[in-house]
Amino acid sequence: MSEFEPKIVAFFCNWCTYGAADLAGVSRLDYPPNFRVVRLPCTGRLNPKYILEAFKRGADGVWISGCHPGDCHYIAGNYHARRKFMLLHHMLEAVGLEPGRLHFSWISSAEANKFQEIAREVVEKVRACGPNVNFRKAELDLGLPEVA
Amino acid sequence: MATKKVVGAALVAGGGVAGMQAALDLANAGYYVYLVEKSLAIGGRMSQLDKTFPTNDCSMCIISPKLVEVGRHINIELLTLTDILAIDGAEGDFRVRVRKNPRYIDMSKCIACGECTKKCPVKVDNEYNELLDKRKAIYVQYAQAVPLKYGIDAEKCLMLTKGKCGSCQKVCPAKAVDYGQKAEEAVLNVGSVVLAPGFKPYNPKDFETYRYADDPNVMTALEFERLLGATGPTMGHVVRSGDHKEPQSIAFLQCVGSRDINRADNGYCSSVCCMYAIKEAIIAKEHAKYDLQVTVFYMDIRSFGKDFERYYEKAKAKGIRFVRSRIHTVQPLKDGGVRFHYVTDHGQSTTEDFDLAVLSHGLVITGETQDMSRKFGLETDKYNFAKTSSFSPVALSRPGIYACGVFTGPKDIPSSVMEASAAAAAASSKLSSARGTLTRTVNVPAPMDINGEPPRIGVFICHCGINIASVIDVPKVVEFAKTLPFVEFASNTMFACSQDNQEQMVKLIKDMRLNRIVVSACSPRTHEPLFMETLAAAGLNKYLFEMANIRNHDSWVHAGNPEEATRKAMDMTEMAVAKAALLTPLTENVIDVDPTALVIGGGVAGLNAALTLSQQGFKSVVVEKAEKLGGIANRILSTSKDEDVGKYLDELQAKVEADPNISVALKAEVGQVEGFVGNFETTLTNGETVKHGVTIIATGALESKPAEYLYGQNPKVLTHLELDERMKARDEAVDAARTFVFVQCVGSREPERMYCSKVCCTHTVHSAVHIKKKNPDARIFVLYRDMRTYAQKEDLYKEARDLGVIFVRYDLDSKPKVSESGEALNVEVHDPVSGRNLLINPDFLVLAAAIVSGRESELAMKYKVPLDEDGWFFEAHQKLRPVDFATDGMFMAGICHYPKPMDEVVAQAQAAAARAVTVLTQPKMTVGGIVAEINQAKCSGCGVCVAVCPFSAVKIDEAKGKAAVNEAMCKGCGTCASSCRSDAPILRGFTNDGLFAQIAAAL
Amino acid sequence: MTSLPDLNQKIQSAAKRLLAEGKAEVVIGCRQGTTPMTVAPIFCRTEDDCNQLIWSNFAKINLATYLPKYPGKVAIIAKGCDARSAVGQVVEKQIERENLYIVGVACGGLVDVEQIQAREPRPIRAAEEDWATIKLSGDGWSSSLPKEDVLRRNCKTCVSRTPEGVADELIGEPTEALPADDYADLKALAGQSLEEKMAYFKGLVKNCLRCYACRNACPLCYCPVCFVDETRPQWLGKSQDEMDTFTFHLLRAFHCSGRCTSCGGCEAACPMDIKLREFNRLLDEEVQKDWNYLPGLSWDQTPPLTTYRPDDEADFIK
Repeated sequence: MSEFEPKIVAFFCNWCTYGAADLAGVSRLDYPPNFRVVRLPCTGRLNPKYILEAFKRGADGVWISGCHPGDCHYIAGNYHARRKFMLLHHMLEAVGLEPGRLHFSWISSAEANKFQEIAREVVEKVRACGPNVNFRKAELDLGLPEVA
Repeated sequence: MATKKVVGAALVAGGGVAGMQAALDLANAGYYVYLVEKSLAIGGRMSQLDKTFPTNDCSMCIISPKLVEVGRHINIELLTLTDILAIDGAEGDFRVRVRKNPRYIDMSKCIACGECTKKCPVKVDNEYNELLDKRKAIYVQYAQAVPLKYGIDAEKCLMLTKGKCGSCQKVCPAKAVDYGQKAEEAVLNVGSVVLAPGFKPYNPKDFETYRYADDPNVMTALEFERLLGATGPTMGHVVRSGDHKEPQSIAFLQCVGSRDINRADNGYCSSVCCMYAIKEAIIAKEHAKYDLQVTVFYMDIRSFGKDFERYYEKAKAKGIRFVRSRIHTVQPLKDGGVRFHYVTDHGQSTTEDFDLAVLSHGLVITGETQDMSRKFGLETDKYNFAKTSSFSPVALSRPGIYACGVFTGPKDIPSSVMEASAAAAAASSKLSSARGTLTRTVNVPAPMDINGEPPRIGVFICHCGINIASVIDVPKVVEFAKTLPFVEFASNTMFACSQDNQEQMVKLIKDMRLNRIVVSACSPRTHEPLFMETLAAAGLNKYLFEMANIRNHDSWVHAGNPEEATRKAMDMTEMAVAKAALLTPLTENVIDVDPTALVIGGGVAGLNAALTLSQQGFKSVVVEKAEKLGGIANRILSTSKDEDVGKYLDELQAKVEADPNISVALKAEVGQVEGFVGNFETTLTNGETVKHGVTIIATGALESKPAEYLYGQNPKVLTHLELDERMKARDEAVDAARTFVFVQCVGSREPERMYCSKVCCTHTVHSAVHIKKKNPDARIFVLYRDMRTYAQKEDLYKEARDLGVIFVRYDLDSKPKVSESGEALNVEVHDPVSGRNLLINPDFLVLAAAIVSGRESELAMKYKVPLDEDGWFFEAHQKLRPVDFATDGMFMAGICHYPKPMDEVVAQAQAAAARAVTVLTQPKMTVGGIVAEINQAKCSGCGVCVAVCPFSAVKIDEAKGKAAVNEAMCKGCGTCASSCRSDAPILRGFTNDGLFAQIAAAL
Repeated sequence: MTSLPDLNQKIQSAAKRLLAEGKAEVVIGCRQGTTPMTVAPIFCRTEDDCNQLIWSNFAKINLATYLPKYPGKVAIIAKGCDARSAVGQVVEKQIERENLYIVGVACGGLVDVEQIQAREPRPIRAAEEDWATIKLSGDGWSSSLPKEDVLRRNCKTCVSRTPEGVADELIGEPTEALPADDYADLKALAGQSLEEKMAYFKGLVKNCLRCYACRNACPLCYCPVCFVDETRPQWLGKSQDEMDTFTFHLLRAFHCSGRCTSCGGCEAACPMDIKLREFNRLLDEEVQKDWNYLPGLSWDQTPPLTTYRPDDEADFIK
């Protein structure tokens, strides 16, 4: 395979986008297998550090998706998240992150088609950016997390 | 007197949103519930909706947690495909005979993989999509259906009709297909029955002039809803069904089959069509990538609910055109469009073409429901809605049988949910002696102590028949899993969810002392609870579990790329193992619940809430700031059904006074408030301290004092309530008056108060009819903007017109002018019909003054509950939790939530009590699990977590200067954890190190 | 315009009065440093201490940084940015309003020693200052510089030079606010290529030692455990990895967003002269544009990351 296959970390909220991905499965809507999903209760749980951590660890792209405004299972988690994302997104692109590496979407649990569409778009846009060289650590301090 | 038998169980008929809510409230209050549904799955009409007004919430998103809750509830027995044949016996001890029709699928075996549907050769019109596309003869109603089990359409299946085919049985990997199933009858013994049969959309095919039957460019609103739906036939793409062209212009025709006794025999207003039409118009415009023109043809826009008026204004601002005209005839055009001839508001005759016409059909009671009413001896009105009174809005004519939802009259989702809770309260009011006698509890062994043990992870990789294994190399994933850190055991399994695998898992946990479990299979959204129960049964803390979704997120969507799918399954398993290694047992604690309610407000809502609680055996303290009980109802003459409010209040008050469970504190208000759900402590201004488990806010609202139309300056200008008071006092001047003018929307629906006060149109027509009946010579003029006599109240509007009341419409920019010359009042208004100005000299000018909130911001602050911008108390969810606050243990009832008529106030009060009972009935409450806690060493006490918490669950412990989470109030969203700069909050189950480990494993 | 000696006199008497009246147990201010062109913080408890209090064009430390360390009644001699930071600390519950007394001092902007040294390369033995001029002298020479020419960058766009509105008393004549930062340079940079943006920002911090002097000088950095010191999980590697360093600066700025008063304390503290505020400015621009928010201007402000509006900007979300 000559084409570059990007690695993408996706953070989905349990109630909406994770559900949309489930429904995309039920409906057998195929999309590229390039991303790995971290399930969160709510996009409100997403610490901006996770986005930086994924890039630092070599992710070529990051995709965050949750409930539409007003649909949040926790009333306002996604509203608080949106403010953080806005700032972080602005900052990262201002310091030279390629537009196309970091994606945000609202996908309700009924929107399997939108899920498929955005999944494809995310993978293609990240692919077009090429490998992440600027936001990854040169050497990873690999090793297992400590277990208490 | 012999003790009558009382059965601690109830039957709820109808699995729509109302039935589900009633079932949940009954089950959570300690009663065993049979939920009977005639179709394959619960969900009802709401499952068909794309969005819900006025928030544009995704309907499926908000209903599906409720579906799952019902489906998994240990005390709700779901009987699908079941008909009710007879109800014998009496309240407290009914015997309900039911017929369970065959599904032809063994539900215990079906894994809902859908292989059967793929192979089934029979295509059938799909009811879920309003026949706009096809389903198979073996099918699920919709993808998120509960129970998620396939069923066979016996009328269409080739095997069942002709004895040939059988392909579903051949392909089913779980051997679940059983063509031999037969219908079975059963008798259920229950104490009460709640009927929630719902409605069907009015079918406009008989309206020949609308051409619905033969023109594909005329469709119903429910069909259009499915067209908008992401799961609909075009996946949300709005196209005409005939030629699949995108319409450039759409016209909505309101009141099709409603407010029509000429052609439809439906004199009532269907209450929801204006709002759903506005919603569909907004969503259609959002979906269209082009400038879609939408026009709504209407008689009166009835946006009378909470936040509805703003929604209507928003639609206008978005360019949706509203034309006041009833379209009678649709003329199909050759090139596939429709033409209307209509008369405008200004009397001009016009012709206009549209690409698509959507008929906003009304809600009607089905023939089956009519049969049921007859068979079970239930009185109905002339439109087949169940007969109820304003003061007991969910009780039917036969004692022990209750109703909720559209069966009692057309209504929207929140009103149905409210009534459902009310019906649950009413249906259990006579059963409280048998509470808890038939309910089941789960007994789990005490979890083993794994403290100090290194992780010993067991990994199970599921084949899901061929659903996973046909794409993913399962043995390879198993071998890979064995190499992962801390993995002690890894194996594959045909069906991870099967009973025998559960037993195997329990045995392995015990034998190998596994202390973390990972299952790579399907979605944790559907299956995590099942596996968690298995862990608990094995004596392992149920939170030591993690799932990898290698079916829905992998094999089902990467079927064309088995190699990458296998690699992804390995990564996903690694991610789950990495997180699992860091999981710790989560404790659930029990807290005591004080079985008392504090009811704030002694009006109709508060008193009904207290009485309903008393029927369930719970004490309450009613706080009323005035000198007497009754609230604003003291000033009301009668209800729209002509029931005497004064007499009712006397009875209500007598009941309350005689009730040993209720104590009343008059001339008292809330002082200091401490505590949280289960354990509130409120000190009243009279010095009394009340310990209570729940709080019901029922503080009412006020009639505004108009600042226009000479109110307060001329004694002949009255408000509605002032007129009522004078009529109650049999005021001679009112009795002798010959001319009345009523002005509607005085202070409502204006820019500074953008809401409809909901009750005034009905109040006016009711008063007008009342006056006319007493004095047929009286001349009555009603000056209105839109008449909003919704539901069966439309009959009153018609009666008023028949009695000669004159209705004159005015616009906001041409309001009536009122002046006085000496004693005489002069009212001048422009009549759009005649195009001339009318001059009236009334004896009384009655103003429909806006109902305004008391803006109880102090009270709101004390209990940490929100007010909306108009000052109404703001519920947890506008659709599905209309009486709950987001803060646990807090409920609301009556017009402090929003203006509403008497029957809805009583229903909401009963509903608030029902919701409160679900808390009060538990002597101990379990709290904890996936909730946040604060690492004290890292907390600076800055208060970010307090500010962002949507549930007021975090507060600063002033003594320590650090944050603290109240486990009883935390819902586990984690917003605090991500907002803290020093990571002091820890969301259990989703910790930073666990999620970091997942990120690392993903890459 | 009050002369500097007069101003200092007034500051000193105010401090003495506050101690005498018991309105403060300690008065935090600045005194002359031991080397030219430096000042040091002083925590006055006696009249003698108070006699050392000065206002100086070189007072580059943000005194609010010390406030959370004093639990009792504290007064602060505050220029505009100090006062705003103190207000922020009250809003963020680090200090209590009733324990805080703000002696506001009108500020005419501070000077940048680096710029002075660039213009006057000879060793400077002494510096005298007034509102408009810095007089320098060395071995056998003296010269003077107009203060305007060597103002610190953040002071050139200060919108709150006088802490009006929040000060409990005010000394000196109010100085007019300057035109706010227009972020023209950042806007111009936004139009450049990704490589140029990356080169600019990575270039800024290439000499960073991760000594955290910036953090220690910042009145916003009061967390008991800073994310850089976290171990479980370890947010940042301990080595001098370029990406770890870069991440530190991004997250530091993120944590300060909607809270930073542009006092310049971080840059003043940096031993490597890194223009740290560039990262903060990236976010300040957004915070002001989208939420119209300037921190520290009133006691009842709601910091932008503790709230939301349903109609917040959402164009970046699909």
